[in-house]
Amino acid sequence: MTEWTNEAMAEFAARYGLTWLTPALLEQLTDCANRVVATGRAVPRMASEYDEPAHVFGGPE
Amino acid sequence: MDALTLPTGTLTDLSVTAAARLIASRKLSPIDLVDAFLDRIAAVDERVKSYILVLADDARAAACVADAEIRAGRWRGPLHGIPYGVKDNYDTAGIRTCAASRVLLDRIPAFDATAIVRLRAAGAILLGKLNTWEYGTGNGGVYFDLPFEPARNPWHLDHLTGGSSTGAGASVAAGTAMFALGSDTGGSIRLPAAACGLQGIKPSYGLVSRYGILPNCYSLDAAGPLCWTAEDAATVLEALAGHDPNDPASAERPFTPYARGIGGGVAGLVVGVIRDAAIEGATIDAANAAGIEDMIRVLEAQGARIVDASLPAPFADYRRVTSVINWGESFSIHEKDFMERGAEMGFALREKMMSGFTLRAADYIAALRHRRELAAGIDALVNSVDVLVLPGALHTAPAFTDDAEVIKNFTGQSTMSVFNVSGHPAMSVCTGFDAKGLPSNGQIVGRWWDEATVLRVAHTYETATAWRARKPEIAQS
Repeated sequence: MTEWTNEAMAEFAARYGLTWLTPALLEQLTDCANRVVATGRAVPRMASEYDEPAHVFGGPE
Repeated sequence: MDALTLPTGTLTDLSVTAAARLIASRKLSPIDLVDAFLDRIAAVDERVKSYILVLADDARAAACVADAEIRAGRWRGPLHGIPYGVKDNYDTAGIRTCAASRVLLDRIPAFDATAIVRLRAAGAILLGKLNTWEYGTGNGGVYFDLPFEPARNPWHLDHLTGGSSTGAGASVAAGTAMFALGSDTGGSIRLPAAACGLQGIKPSYGLVSRYGILPNCYSLDAAGPLCWTAEDAATVLEALAGHDPNDPASAERPFTPYARGIGGGVAGLVVGVIRDAAIEGATIDAANAAGIEDMIRVLEAQGARIVDASLPAPFADYRRVTSVINWGESFSIHEKDFMERGAEMGFALREKMMSGFTLRAADYIAALRHRRELAAGIDALVNSVDVLVLPGALHTAPAFTDDAEVIKNFTGQSTMSVFNVSGHPAMSVCTGFDAKGLPSNGQIVGRWWDEATVLRVAHTYETATAWRARKPEIAQS
């Protein structure tokens, strides 16, 4: 797993229309992205595919 | 900076409960009470910065109406004529609601949040919109980059209030509001309550409508009061609770009135105690550790049975799940603002939005799946006792001049978010003061929908201790 670089993040941001990034803000975004990757990967995966998410949606009671 | 000096014996010292009795018996006019709070705001809020918008004329007009109604024998109940403040992420019709953001400075909602509607129906009088971290959220840091200066801790003006309901915490402690409404996604009611020495309750998810509160994270957000006493919190929560069809998460279930049974004591209750939440890298302050031990001693002396308990999963699991869900949902809610005006946001909000911008859907769903498991574990634990008692914030409020990590640790090294993940009612209560005079805190957690027992335990502890007799010192002006 490689880390996000500023260059890769600038390309990603541009692809999704983020137009106001200064060099300092791009740096902040890259830092965030790397923290998010690490945190997301550390979330335990449920063993069974039948372990559904905690929904907020349901039928009428 | 000097601590504030609060004159004793003033109307702003009264609890909601005490003021309500005086108003009901016509010994106190809401006009005098509102004027006392507006005077206090004028005298101290330039320093405390609890409000970002004061509605003095509206409040005086509402007080005149309340006074006339009560004189005519139409007393509505214990909140009639009681002045309060609301975090500026609650929509108020025709009144700017900007959540302390440069991005929303021109935002004037067309309708009132359900909580505002309910409090108005109960006769409460809105004094103004309270300071907050931007959009009612943050990363625990304070960056002095918002259009309003941060609220100050009335116990020591150089210290944090805790967030994100910063003004809510500051106002009740400084006597600029009799009670305040906050919102709580990962501790934002309970952390300011902890820092400012208040009693603040995050109710069960779905008990209090969030409709008209600027959403932060749909599946973690809760709304509730910060008060000086547990009894006040019970009174306010009674007015707020109940089904709202405009909030998809609002529960359709009756609730037990809270204030009536609050004096029932704790004899026979089983209190599970978590002394060490095992937050990695964190050591609880001596004052906060002593506060928990004091609470245990008092509850045991009052007849509760104390049993040891521990969190069923590593603390880091709850934190990760909260972060990932929060990033993803917040970004989905505020995507347009971020994409168009993210550069105008403060550092903390922008960081959160950036995190959501880069989050993978698979990680978000994994967090939602794991959340169900974590919540079930907490539910089993809470159901094995009557309430849990554990440290809330591990530290007393840091100073603005402290190292950035120390400041962020006030939020990060707390157990509050565990009960946003699980949805259980959780209340921060004052357990004393450290050597600097800053409040310590403990957290009481109850079974789903059992706010009544949480409030009863809090009230029992509160009335057996002397902490409520101590107020911040506010210089006479």
